[in-house]
This record gives sequence, C-alpha cells and structure tokens, in this order.
Amino acid sequence: MTKLLQTLFDGVAVGSLYALIALGYTMVYGILQFSNFAHSDIFMTGAWIAYVVSAAAGWAVIGGDTPPLYSGLVALLASMAFCGLLGFGIERLAYRPLRKAPRLNVLITAIGISLFLENIGQRKELFGTQPQKMPQLLPDTTLFTVADVNFRIVDLTVIAVALVLMGVLQWLVFRTRLGRAMRAVSYNIPVASLMGINVDRVISITFVIGSTLAAAAGFLYVMKYPGALKQPADSTWILLGLKCFVAAVIGGIGNVRGAMLGGVLIGLMEMFGAAYLSPHMRDIYVFSLLIIVLLVRPAGLLGKATVEKV
Amino acid sequence: MTQPNAAILDVQAISISFGGLKAVTDFSLSLPPGALQGLIGPNGAGKTTVFNLLTGVYTPQTGEILLAGERLNGQKPNRIAASGLARTFQNIRLFGDLTVLDNVRVACHVRAETGFAAAILRTRAHYGEEAAIRERAHRLLEIFGLSHRATDLARNLPYGDQRRLEIARALATGPKVLLLDEPAAGMNPQEKMALADLIAFVRREFGLTILLIEHDMGLVMRICERITVIDHGVTIARGTPAEIQADPAVIEAYLGAPDPPDASAEGP
Repeated sequence: MTKLLQTLFDGVAVGSLYALIALGYTMVYGILQFSNFAHSDIFMTGAWIAYVVSAAAGWAVIGGDTPPLYSGLVALLASMAFCGLLGFGIERLAYRPLRKAPRLNVLITAIGISLFLENIGQRKELFGTQPQKMPQLLPDTTLFTVADVNFRIVDLTVIAVALVLMGVLQWLVFRTRLGRAMRAVSYNIPVASLMGINVDRVISITFVIGSTLAAAAGFLYVMKYPGALKQPADSTWILLGLKCFVAAVIGGIGNVRGAMLGGVLIGLMEMFGAAYLSPHMRDIYVFSLLIIVLLVRPAGLLGKATVEKV
Repeated sequence: MTQPNAAILDVQAISISFGGLKAVTDFSLSLPPGALQGLIGPNGAGKTTVFNLLTGVYTPQTGEILLAGERLNGQKPNRIAASGLARTFQNIRLFGDLTVLDNVRVACHVRAETGFAAAILRTRAHYGEEAAIRERAHRLLEIFGLSHRATDLARNLPYGDQRRLEIARALATGPKVLLLDEPAAGMNPQEKMALADLIAFVRREFGLTILLIEHDMGLVMRICERITVIDHGVTIARGTPAEIQADPAVIEAYLGAPDPPDASAEGP
C-alpha cells in the first residue's frame, strides 16, 4: 500500500514536470505544425541558468550558509525570463524567415538550433563542461508523512508550481483575448491574419510562453534531481525532451489539455514500471505506451482525427 | 485628404501574374462611399484573385490600392483589415474550433485599444473593453439571427448559418468596405432572398460600401447598382445591370462566341 501511494505521488510529481515541457511542444505544433526539437535545449538552458544564478548569488558554495527562502523564487524567475527571451529570439531569427518554407526545412533548422544551444552551452564562458551540483534552494525536508508516504517539500513544490502554471495557461488560452487569438491562429493562419490578427505577434508570444514553461520545468527538475547538471550537451536532456514530446503526442499534439494529460500519464507509467517491473527499463515503458496509444488512437487521447481544412 | 465625393476604395490598374499566367491584368475600380457593386465573370476569371489582391493575400505587381486615401498595397493582411477592408470567403473559412461568439469576438480585437499585456494584467480599461466587445459581438449575432447558437462550435453550424456567420465576423472587424465572395453560394431561393435583404440592411445600418462576387445573376442584377465584368483577368465591361445584360462582350464571355460560318465546314 505504501509502495503504491509513494509511486503514485512520485509519478504525479515527475509527470507534472513532463507536462510543463510537453506544453511547449504542443503549443508550437498547434500553431505552426512543426515539432520544435530545440525545445529540450530551452529546458536544459533553464536548468543551467538556475544554477548559474545560484552560483552568482553565492548559494552554491559547498558547506556555505543555507540559501535564503526566496532563493528558489529568484532562480525560477531568472531562468523563466532568460528562456522567454531565448525562445523569442529563436523564433524571430531562425523560424520566422522560414514561415513559408517547407516543413522539413524548419524541422532541420530546429535540430540545428538544438545542436547549437547544446554546444555553445559547453563553452567555458557559459556553462562549461564540468558537472555541477545544484544547491538545495528549497529545504530538503519531509513536510508530512501519510501512511508512511513521505511528502517532500521539493516534490510538493514541483507539483504546486506545475499546477499553478498550467492553470494560468489554461486560463490564458481559453479565457482571454490573447488565447482567442492564439486559437484562431492555430486554426488557420491566413484567415486569422485577414481578420486583423497580428499573427507574428501571436506566434512570438506562443514561443515566449512555451519557453518560460520549459524553463520552469528545468528549474524544478534540478531541484528534484540536483545531480542532473552533467553537461549542457549530455544526452539526458535530449531523452527528456523526447519523452515530453511523446507526452504531447500521446495527449494529442496541438491540444493543450492533452499535453498535460500525456505528461502525467507518462510520469505515472515510468514510475510504476520502475517500481513494479524493473527500474532499468523505465524508458521502454514510456515508448511502449506511445506505441499502444498510436495503435488505438492515432490522433492521441484528446486529439481529433485530422480532417482536411478547406 | 479625401473629398466628400471621392471614392472610398480606389483601385488603379492592379495586375498580378503567376509564372506565365496573367491572373489579373490592369484591374481598376472606383467605389463611391455607400456603393453596392457587383464583380462578375465566368469561373476562373480572376474574381477571387482580385479579392486576394485587395486584402493583401497577394501583393499586386503593378498598380495602386487606396482605401479612403490610404495606400494598401504591400501591407500585411492584418494591417489592411485594421484600415477597414474586410472580406468573406467563397468556401467558408470560419475558425471551426472556436465558438460562434468567439469567431466574432476574435475579429473585434482589431478595433481594440488595449493590448495583450493589458489582457494579462487585467487592467480596468481592458475589462471595460472586453465587455464592449462582448456586447458588440452579441449585437452582430442578433442581427444575423445567430444568438441562439452563440456557444456552439462554428463547425457544427448548418451551412446557411455558417455563411451568415462569415459576414458577421467580417463586420466585426469594423470595415469601411466589405468584400463578399459568393455569399449566396449553395443557398436556396428563399435563403437568397433573405440574404439580399440582410445585405441591404447591414449596408444601411453600418454605412458600408460593398463589393460583391456572385454567380447568381438574378441576385446580382437585383441588388447591385453597378457591375464590373472580368474574364481571363481582363475587365471586359462596366455599367448598370441593364447595360451589362445587353453587352455583347459579356454574352460572349459567358456563352462563347458564335461559330464563324465556315468553322463547321472545315471539320474533320
């Protein structure tokens, strides 16, 4: 019983991280119909920026003072702001000139951006090639224990921040003027433009939102796994990005709620597989889920079967 | 500056060709404020291309488009919509995944003063404006008899309702000039009559100038004051409905030229 509950809790915590990243993939796909494979590197950059900011503030000194309580918030906001700008810049400089180019060109550009970010990140002026350990910006204590399940502050923070951000996004997309414009652009770019919507602006904002969510996920990820900062070009980032892309596809790519659902499902799948089957094959469970979902519902769980747009 | 009697939409010799195909050649048009003009021609004559040129989907290779004295060619479609030129589409292009109300509201944004930042920060000005947009959208839906469907997704509407919603959405952008691309296509005679009344009503109500593409000659002849006829991208006639009906060039374009007397004699 304890094991079941503990796994459930861990699965939801990891899953909400995945969901945050999956949202970035799905939002860009929903509007531009291409997979932004540079998204995993935005997430990576977010994680490293959180470290760089902590180091600059003197919170990363081993054996130093306990970082102040607000340190987590500072690192989170700094990395969201930086990645928001980064996402804006990437769209403006790399993708916008290709707006009318074939999808394949854009996809290859995305892979190029991805490699560029990974390798420029290895420069010693930036993040370097040394593995770093993320300082504990959040107190590493168990807040409470229910039925022998430990609810750690870190995990609860991950879930809380993810829920708040997803709630804000949900509100933004379905309740505001900006969201209406985003949905219209996502349905048909040329017609949205003819109805007076500034499509370029909406696309920019979409990239900024997706990137800030990825940055938040990056921060939360290194809070949860302080040893994850091996190298900017380490393959764990790519694998994580891939998993979150899978989450978006499982939920129905282009569907905001689907990405949230897919992320949580994948987190649960991974944690339950690791706990009850074998911890060495956790990636296999995720991709098996993908295969099953694609066989049963090719458009994803919440995706609609594609109909020809007239 | 525009004189009181100057054309609200002044199109001077615009042309576009795709590869070797001259789709539209030296198309000119001058719409006085409040006019209701028809644009007709056989299939493939270039009528919709003219609309695409006017609304910025294509950029004219030659010529000038002036809306109330403001030069439109080369501008982006959303700038042109903001300047006061709105359109509907020959094959319906609503935002199918949005509700009927949201289709209209999203088109209202172009007249909104407060930006996206205000939308996120929920300023007081933004609240007031959102309320005004909602009210305006509901009023448009009421005029078009769509109030009871406001919360339905646009793609679930019956065909005739979708056609009317397209016009409502175009009006929501607050146009000076409205371009209607075959608004009566696929409608039965009763619906066409109702549509003609509706067009007349919104023209008065919103002080619109209208340019209409339509294949139903009965409708065109009844409601348009002047008509321009194009064929193969070239303007072949201009005039009142009566003049157009009697014009030999128009008859030829629609029915083909009578065979020369000796043509059949040389058959295989």
